[in-house]
Amino acid sequence: MKKIEILKLESLSRAPMVVEGYLFEGSDPDAPSVAVIGAMEGATTLPLYSASKLVDFLRNKLGSEKILGNILVIPSVNHYALNINERFWPLDKTDINMMFPGYNEGETTQRIAHRLFEAVQDYDYGIILETRTDLATCLPYVKLFKTGYEDVKSARWLGLKVIHHREPESIETVSLQYNWQLWGAKACSVVCPHEPLIDPASARVIMDSLINFLSHSGIIRYEAFNGYNSTVVTRERIEVIKSPRSGIFIPTQKPGTTVSKDETIGKIVHALEGEVVHRFLAPCDGMITCIYMHSLIFENAVAYRIAKIH
Amino acid sequence: MNPEITEIFSSELPVGETLRIQRARFAPEKVRPDAKRISVVSGIHGDELEGQLVIYLLAAWLREHPEALRGTVDIYPAVNSLGVDTIIRGFPLYEIDLNRAFPGARNDFLPAQVVHALAEDVEGSDIAIDIHSSNIFLREIPQIRINKAFSEATLPLAKQLNCDFIWIHDAVTVLEATFSHTMNERGTKTLVVEMGVGMRLTKAYGRQLLRGILNLMQREGIIETPTEFKVREPFTSEVGEVFYINAPAAGLFVPALDHCEVIEKEQWIGDIVDPLSGAVRESLYAPNGGVLFTLREYPVVYEGSLLARIFGESDEKN
Repeated sequence: MKKIEILKLESLSRAPMVVEGYLFEGSDPDAPSVAVIGAMEGATTLPLYSASKLVDFLRNKLGSEKILGNILVIPSVNHYALNINERFWPLDKTDINMMFPGYNEGETTQRIAHRLFEAVQDYDYGIILETRTDLATCLPYVKLFKTGYEDVKSARWLGLKVIHHREPESIETVSLQYNWQLWGAKACSVVCPHEPLIDPASARVIMDSLINFLSHSGIIRYEAFNGYNSTVVTRERIEVIKSPRSGIFIPTQKPGTTVSKDETIGKIVHALEGEVVHRFLAPCDGMITCIYMHSLIFENAVAYRIAKIH
Repeated sequence: MNPEITEIFSSELPVGETLRIQRARFAPEKVRPDAKRISVVSGIHGDELEGQLVIYLLAAWLREHPEALRGTVDIYPAVNSLGVDTIIRGFPLYEIDLNRAFPGARNDFLPAQVVHALAEDVEGSDIAIDIHSSNIFLREIPQIRINKAFSEATLPLAKQLNCDFIWIHDAVTVLEATFSHTMNERGTKTLVVEMGVGMRLTKAYGRQLLRGILNLMQREGIIETPTEFKVREPFTSEVGEVFYINAPAAGLFVPALDHCEVIEKEQWIGDIVDPLSGAVRESLYAPNGGVLFTLREYPVVYEGSLLARIFGESDEKN
């Protein structure tokens, strides 16, 4: 394994931020290669943890002879945000994942994006570990943009329950996944639950999915347990459940739970008077894919999304 | 004249409060069928307050001159009303930049519902003006930014607004998610004003833009008054180039010039210094002569932080 410097940035008052990649060179020149990107934002640690555990697995548990293709893991791109529990770049609050393909003469986060993008461009596959942008936590799933260059087959190798296959929003055309696909990599994102503390069960699912991918793609020689035969879900299949009242939000089911129509999935309690002012019932049979992630909820906020069973 | 106040969006908040996004409408009792409607919007970013002053001045003028009104004037002072009240640029809690969430949808997450409500409400206006300050990092002279794709329709209107500079820029995909792009696509000629600096009011700029808006409304027949609103001739980016100066190193930026100065090529712009060692890390010089129309206000910089923009003639002429 080689540690390579992806970028270095000085600060007025903090120690320099050095972003490092862990490069595992494969023994088979014909084997495909992959780059895995961990935390581009702060305030959530599962992408960081998962990427760092992948480094540990490849370095200490697998055995270098079993690594066939090149693997680059960059666990964190945004140490400055992670260290102070900020979500975005701490000075100007810009999102690095909205700066691709980047620009080396531009603003700070455009430069970070540019240097990261340069480092990962020659890989056959790309996996980005990220969290949802919409104040929701979720089951671990694959987000795959429809760009005309996406590869559903390799996204299935992750073995996660759901692949959300959808058109990108206009703002997502500046994300890493979109640009990486345009530049020729089979890139997808693993969307991680947004949890304040590491949940070992979620972390295990993500770790297994990465190992599944490496194994099925022929990048490592390893007999992984098979994951799920992923269900490909499009936007039309997602039922949105908005909150008709505000108050204290208490979900009674977790993301990833299969529910039946009319089953109780949560409630809202009046914030000052304590009475239950609304009970959420599943509007259809399906699987809860994501849940609003704060205890206090606004009226009309999206409380749940459910992937319907046809 | 008291305007008619309408809530265009409301959401009960968790603890004893309601989020309201409001519009005030000024209109004569009888509006002619051919009368035009203008919408003036501010506070899409919660830390940008210059538009609040302009809208106040406009509303005050309309209250004083009800006899002048021929069309409909809709004002939306605080689109991100929670953000304006809490000095938060994005939509609080969600950390979403509302001007990157258009056109939104009724069934999407809350910030997208808010922008959807605004776009639906403004739709049908003949003209819209979206007033931004710069963010907290930069100070800007009053300027209009228009997308090249819509410039044929919007440039003549921009010239009426008494601003100093009109910046016509190429389409960028991200800009498709903005209010102005959405409204221009829907047939409302929409102009974006940038001026001043975040979290502050620049009274002279407020009065300058008010004059421009009144001039535009007069020319469009929305107000009829014998007063002549004399406006300045803006320079436009069609006849020159915009040069960016980004920080080559981190440190504390100490400018050597005042905002809005006319400068010469290779003139000293300022230094990036290190207070701990007392060293000057970098000295910055103008790559071209022209008007220093953007200058950094917030001194802490990283490599890449924008320090200044100059509008001037291209290299060959300098």
